[in-house]
Amino acid sequence: MNLNDMPQTPAAAGALPAEDVHQRIGQLTRTLHNALRELGYDRALAQACDNLPDARDRLSYIARVTGEAAEKVLDAVDSARGVQDELNREADSLRQRWSILAASFAAGGGGPAGRELVDETCGFFERLGSHASATQRLLTEIMMAQDFHDLTGQVIRKVVALAGDLEEQLLKLLIETAPTDQRQKMEAERLQGPVVNATGRDDVVTNQAQVDDLLASLGF
Amino acid sequence: MSSDLRFLIVDDFSTMRRIVRNLLKELGFHNAEEAEDGAIALNMLRTSKFDFVVSDINMPNMNGFELLKHIRAEESLKRLPVLMVTAEAKKEDIVLAAQSGASGYIVKPFTKATLDEKVQKILQKMQ
Repeated sequence: MNLNDMPQTPAAAGALPAEDVHQRIGQLTRTLHNALRELGYDRALAQACDNLPDARDRLSYIARVTGEAAEKVLDAVDSARGVQDELNREADSLRQRWSILAASFAAGGGGPAGRELVDETCGFFERLGSHASATQRLLTEIMMAQDFHDLTGQVIRKVVALAGDLEEQLLKLLIETAPTDQRQKMEAERLQGPVVNATGRDDVVTNQAQVDDLLASLGF
Repeated sequence: MSSDLRFLIVDDFSTMRRIVRNLLKELGFHNAEEAEDGAIALNMLRTSKFDFVVSDINMPNMNGFELLKHIRAEESLKRLPVLMVTAEAKKEDIVLAAQSGASGYIVKPFTKATLDEKVQKILQKMQ
């Protein structure tokens, strides 16, 4: 059958009776199904069904690995913050003690070399505070950059869900385009959608391996 | 601003919960708990006192809009400030959040300054 075999649209514009519309949709579906079979697209559909779970697994892998990487970075940032805070506290304590010593040197104690060393040390402690602040700002930026995991993860979840829907639709199409004898077998074992509790049931599949086995049993 | 306020951070991504928690700490808010979705958050809110909620929208079990709806419907929770932090930048979502009673709305990715501004603004309104 080809599309030229289909009833032609009436020349006069106007609403078709509901029964006619239903009839024509049915005929179009039959034409499409036959064409798919004749062109061997049923095999292509089966191949697409096989490939989609693999694509979903790969996307899930990306989400998991990037998530783990982001967590590692956050762990490192937390540790670095702790080290930085501790350094800052110790430096601040030493700075205060050296300031007292510097006052003593300024009053005439110690030689020129001693005064110079005290001044340089106090200057270093003062700079250390601003360096620590700069480091904290950089650590915050590193931490904020890890939000990519949330943003890309949400996109990946949507694509995985889309792939799941597509797989379901392809499976349905595959069943509908199968030869009559195989279709009866497929319909008897057809996926019924998500099953919350498969305990005690043998009419549903509960994992991808069972889907693969079902397709294989049907010669796909 | 009072730093002893107790925050509840609701997000299904642990990375984002940690980021928000650390940012709040940097802003002086050291008291924060985390929930993975709206259902867990609602249970925590019903059993323990919190002063501020920072919630994602897209989450399993109960999303942020549903959580917000429950919060606004319960007498003991309805005045609780809820800041929505989400990747959803669609106008309809922002409008829906506002109509549902969200105290503020931040689109990811965001900066520390933005979080600070929104939190402070909400806290000022509460006073």
